[in-house]
Amino acid sequence: MLTARPSRREFVYHSGMGLGAIALSALLQRNRARASVLSPRPGHHAAKAKSCIFLLMEGGPSHIDTIDPKSKLVDLHMTEFVKENTKFEASMNTGKRYYVRSPFEFRRAGQVGIEINAKLRQFADCVDDVCFYRGLQATSVNHPTALYHINTGNRFGGDPAIGSWVTYGLGTENQNLPGFVVLPDLAYPQGGAANWSNGFLPAHYQGTPLRPAGSPVLDMSPPEYVTETQQRETLNLLGKLNRRHMAQHPDHQELSARIESYELAFRMQAEMPEAINIDSEQEETKQLYGVGSENSEVDSIGRRCLLARRLVERGVRFVQVIVSGWDSHDYIEKAHGSRLDAIDQPFAGLLKDLKRTGMLDETLVVWAGEFGRSPDNGVRGGGTAWGRDHNAPAMGFWMAGGDAPRGKIVGATDETGRSAIEAVHPIRDMHVTLLHLLGLDDTELTYFAQGRDKQLSQTGGQLIEELIA
Amino acid sequence: MDFNWSNAVTRQFLRAWGLAAVSAAVSMPAPTAEELFLGTVQPILKQQCLGCHGEGNIFAKLDLRTRESFVKGGERGPAIVAGDPDSSLLMAAIDHAGELQMPPGGPEKRLPEDVRNAFREWIAAGAPFVSGESAEKWEFEEADLWAFRPVKNAEPPTEGVDLTGVRTPIDSFVQAKLAELGIQPAPRADKLTLIRRVTYGLTGLPPTPEEVEAFLGDDTEGAFKKVVDRLLDSPRYGERWGRHWLDVTRYADTAGYSNDFERPNAWRYRDYVIRSFNNDKPYDRFVLEQIAGDELFPSESEAIIATGFLRAGPWEHTGMSVAAVTRQLFLDDVTHHVGQTFLGLTLGCARCHDHKFDPIPTKDYYRFQAVFSKTAFARRPLNFLPSEATDGFAEGRAPFEARLVEVERRMNDLHEAARERLAREKGPEAVAKAGSGVLQRYMDKEQAELLKLLRKRVTMHKLSMLRFEPLAMTVSNGLVSEWDAVASRNSYMKEQDYETATTHVLVGGDIKSPAQEVSPGALEAVERYAGLPAPEFPDAIEGQRSALAEWIADPRNPLTARVMVNRIWQYHFGRGLAANANNFGKMGKKPTHPELLDWLATFFVDHGWSVKALHRVILFSEAYQRDGSHPDSELVNRGDPENLLLARFSPRRLGAEELRDSIIAVAGELSDLFGGPGTYPQINTDVARQPRHAMGTVRPVYESEPTRIRRNRRSIYSFQQRSLIDPMIEVFNGANPDLTCERRDSSTVPTQAFALLNSEQSRDMALIMTGRLSALPPDRQVDTAFRLAYGRGPSEEEVGWTTEFLTKMSDHYGRNPAPPRQPPDDVVHHITSELTGEKFEFVQPAYAGPYEHNPHPSESSPETRALADLALALFNSNEFVYVY
Repeated sequence: MLTARPSRREFVYHSGMGLGAIALSALLQRNRARASVLSPRPGHHAAKAKSCIFLLMEGGPSHIDTIDPKSKLVDLHMTEFVKENTKFEASMNTGKRYYVRSPFEFRRAGQVGIEINAKLRQFADCVDDVCFYRGLQATSVNHPTALYHINTGNRFGGDPAIGSWVTYGLGTENQNLPGFVVLPDLAYPQGGAANWSNGFLPAHYQGTPLRPAGSPVLDMSPPEYVTETQQRETLNLLGKLNRRHMAQHPDHQELSARIESYELAFRMQAEMPEAINIDSEQEETKQLYGVGSENSEVDSIGRRCLLARRLVERGVRFVQVIVSGWDSHDYIEKAHGSRLDAIDQPFAGLLKDLKRTGMLDETLVVWAGEFGRSPDNGVRGGGTAWGRDHNAPAMGFWMAGGDAPRGKIVGATDETGRSAIEAVHPIRDMHVTLLHLLGLDDTELTYFAQGRDKQLSQTGGQLIEELIA
Repeated sequence: MDFNWSNAVTRQFLRAWGLAAVSAAVSMPAPTAEELFLGTVQPILKQQCLGCHGEGNIFAKLDLRTRESFVKGGERGPAIVAGDPDSSLLMAAIDHAGELQMPPGGPEKRLPEDVRNAFREWIAAGAPFVSGESAEKWEFEEADLWAFRPVKNAEPPTEGVDLTGVRTPIDSFVQAKLAELGIQPAPRADKLTLIRRVTYGLTGLPPTPEEVEAFLGDDTEGAFKKVVDRLLDSPRYGERWGRHWLDVTRYADTAGYSNDFERPNAWRYRDYVIRSFNNDKPYDRFVLEQIAGDELFPSESEAIIATGFLRAGPWEHTGMSVAAVTRQLFLDDVTHHVGQTFLGLTLGCARCHDHKFDPIPTKDYYRFQAVFSKTAFARRPLNFLPSEATDGFAEGRAPFEARLVEVERRMNDLHEAARERLAREKGPEAVAKAGSGVLQRYMDKEQAELLKLLRKRVTMHKLSMLRFEPLAMTVSNGLVSEWDAVASRNSYMKEQDYETATTHVLVGGDIKSPAQEVSPGALEAVERYAGLPAPEFPDAIEGQRSALAEWIADPRNPLTARVMVNRIWQYHFGRGLAANANNFGKMGKKPTHPELLDWLATFFVDHGWSVKALHRVILFSEAYQRDGSHPDSELVNRGDPENLLLARFSPRRLGAEELRDSIIAVAGELSDLFGGPGTYPQINTDVARQPRHAMGTVRPVYESEPTRIRRNRRSIYSFQQRSLIDPMIEVFNGANPDLTCERRDSSTVPTQAFALLNSEQSRDMALIMTGRLSALPPDRQVDTAFRLAYGRGPSEEEVGWTTEFLTKMSDHYGRNPAPPRQPPDDVVHHITSELTGEKFEFVQPAYAGPYEHNPHPSESSPETRALADLALALFNSNEFVYVY
């Protein structure tokens, strides 16, 4: 049977390592600032946003129950929903299905007057800083392929993640931290690490997941039995062996690069504990994000949002926060309800904090799932356990910061929320637009691989002009 | 206008369809929409429209290159409404019906009426975009067609070549190029460098001190040959070269995506590849077996197993995916990868449009694909061969059996509890009739969620146990009723569907837009440029793959031998003669020594496609045996900075598997268990315990093998889970099993330092290595450690450093004993139920069975711990990590 356990200290992001930091200095001959593949570089055009925090809602949040309510569904409630073309439907998706109304209450918020789920109480204060976009369409209704699509532009995986492309394009400001950081939930999403892979780009651009417990970066700290003396002396000896060897191979350029990678590792090891130590924040700031909340999910997401801000503040180019659990096929009131309760304060806190510190101008915040949810209950659970099926032709998306419009609603879905009908664009256009907002041009941001110059949008896309202030 | 569009277009259309001989007077059936597109619409677009709307310029944001962009339109809205010409802006524009008139320039620019009618009918019919162009209509630079031209019988050049530096004909070609630049090649490498280079090159492992000593002490003429013979005869050779082939073919033991379910018999293909290299299977036969072994050699088990190649890519079909789409996913995968693997062509580029760079029209892509249209997945009974490793089965199977028993017990408990509740509420007679569906309604939400998790585990463990059954992961032509169709959980095609399966050109690669039907075919360009006749495809469901395979393995096929010899060259020199081993088209780098490439291809075919014969001729060349640095490095770096002309040997960093295997080998721990189902090495604990989603629930945690001999096998035998790559392999640029890997990167990133210096795996191996050293007298310990790691003894300076280090560290550990080993915690999964939105915890107890631990510092003497630190420093050193 399931065992009740005391709450474990998860998502604590404390350093957990006091040693080794000084130890690696044995290798540090001098603290050189050398141009590297990660050095910061200008984009293709001017853009306010210098970095991006991408809030990825894994599982497919329902636009209809969050930021795009449909009163028509109240009229249609429990009338039969007939899908247009079932030839290309999944086997699970055949059978009778019914429209269902949203179990949630909605409230108008802000000057922009957007109707949003009433559970988003604190986020309601932020809507005038946010641009809501209702015209976006996904392609796949299958989780892993849809996740790959939104994260990498390629439904079948293997291509670089958007964070890798951005880091490839702009480099990163802080050479002692990874340029692209991922803050996953405890469980990795479907498709795993391929969601933040560097694909065919050099390994420097790979997303680094920061682990919420234990060593934040894999093996950043040695096993607990390793003493500082041991680490220092081993590195001392290694330094001697390597220097002697290098003297015998003066033409071999890679040798110094490899020695330098140990220095870089040292600097990361030295800087990371400070960067992730959110305990050093003011109590008031922590509360803003919900850190310390009784709701452990608010605490967990709040910690990751606060950490995202700290990382961006320290020059990390791209941070992705993953919040899973949105795949509400049944009991959406409870399932989505708990998600909304969990994200409201952390995301609102993030926007408010970025705004008051002036960072919002330079930070693009994006919120998206891999697809939306359908106006019907699918075929599972029946009428008493309303849920919603996966839906590609309409989904929810918002962003804030940088050159994104503030307090604006772009595009629209039809009266049931099934499909986008205004300002309709595929995911690749959203990718082109996100790159644009970060100063990058999708058609110029290319890398030669697999026989051609590859790009995030795959074969080119269109800028969504309405999403640029 | 004196130019008659209509006639010119019609002529073009007739030519395109090979009908040029047909008289224009012959009455023809009304053209289909696809024919209208090819015959009229597309040529007009190219001549009149794309200059401003698609190629170079995209005026008014209107791009007329794809159907999608047509429909999307530009600033004025959609260009067409498919099926409705009267509502299509494009028609109004070309009819000059309103303000917008296209092409611009007044009435004389208006297109003739019959052309406009063709547009009208084409839009009315849904405006299909289609590619059926024949490659002959395109223009290609001869230089870009090199790989399609027949292999030349190149004579090794003699002019200007210093014959004293020529050991095999390869050297003549290399010397001739160097002479052009006035560069003298570097001298031969010293013997230690050479034996280390060739041992890594052929086996992926370092030479043992004894092997080094034997070679250094052998002054006979044939000393190097003896080494090469020994290495080529070693089973370790196939493990190394099999890995190269698996990089290209994307081997994994699981299927990827949501569930990442196991492919329990995939390992037999992996072992087949290893055996094929060890047995020097002729490469043409290797090709035939992998594409059509089941058809060509139906009585040979090897050949049945070989077709696992066709299914190597990631592929998943679930209740949430669309059957026709996942079928198409396989067809596209197999089409692209057969082309990529054997022909070095990026066929996938021609899926949506004619290949932009190479003479591969979309029609050819779908003709190639049609060869596989009847191919079904099959899991069929196939007895184990004597050469297959079955002796570890009992040991491998036991943990899965135990896990299965455990999850079934927990499921039973849940059912029992539900039965009790049912009996309480509805009486005992209700229990008798209750199936699992009824019982589930008598569980609370937590129990129901747990049941879901356990069910998935039953599926997974049962799959794992199939590894040990005499089954093959293979293919069949259509479904064979007595075989398991594998995907039968959601059987997506009926038997008769295979029988009648047709292939259509898919407009834009989209399965929802089928255009003309095509029959099986190979590549037209090979016939045109190399004169190899197209294969004859039978009408029967059997034999289509055979025809294609024989066409690929034909010695006259200009690509096949070139592609393979180039791969082999690349694995020896770090770079192919043509630098993109998977791309011999225009966008791939041109060969630096085209005549040499052809000479090697000819040699290869002439020697019965023997890979080992090719190794010998390469390894015995002076070019291979040169020193890694050049006496006049400045001259070389100026004239040939990338060392393309091979004046010296290019050093390389060890690949991920080489590095892991070397550390284990040097520690004395590498097991020589050969083949069999994948095993579970020690990996980073955090990653092993990381909860990971499968569809609807969470997967079991990763558990390493309980015995050291099974943990510490060569990396090629590690169970390859697509969703969980060993971070030690991943961080050192291991191949991504989802993508074909033509060549490993060797980027240097700080996380490698963490993995090699801080990981438990490195530290454990360092401690294990002391087992080979501790018993030796102190003065021999350092010497042996160096010889094991570097193949040489330490210098005087190094003896000084290490002795001082060992003393200091022994002293330190005498005062700082290590804390005892920590037992592992239970793993707690947090699950948000997809069904109810409730949150659950699921506890997976820590492994409780017998486990053969690695030694731990708390059990080691201070002297041993100090020696382990020396070993760790050696593992991390550049001399260990680079091959010269």
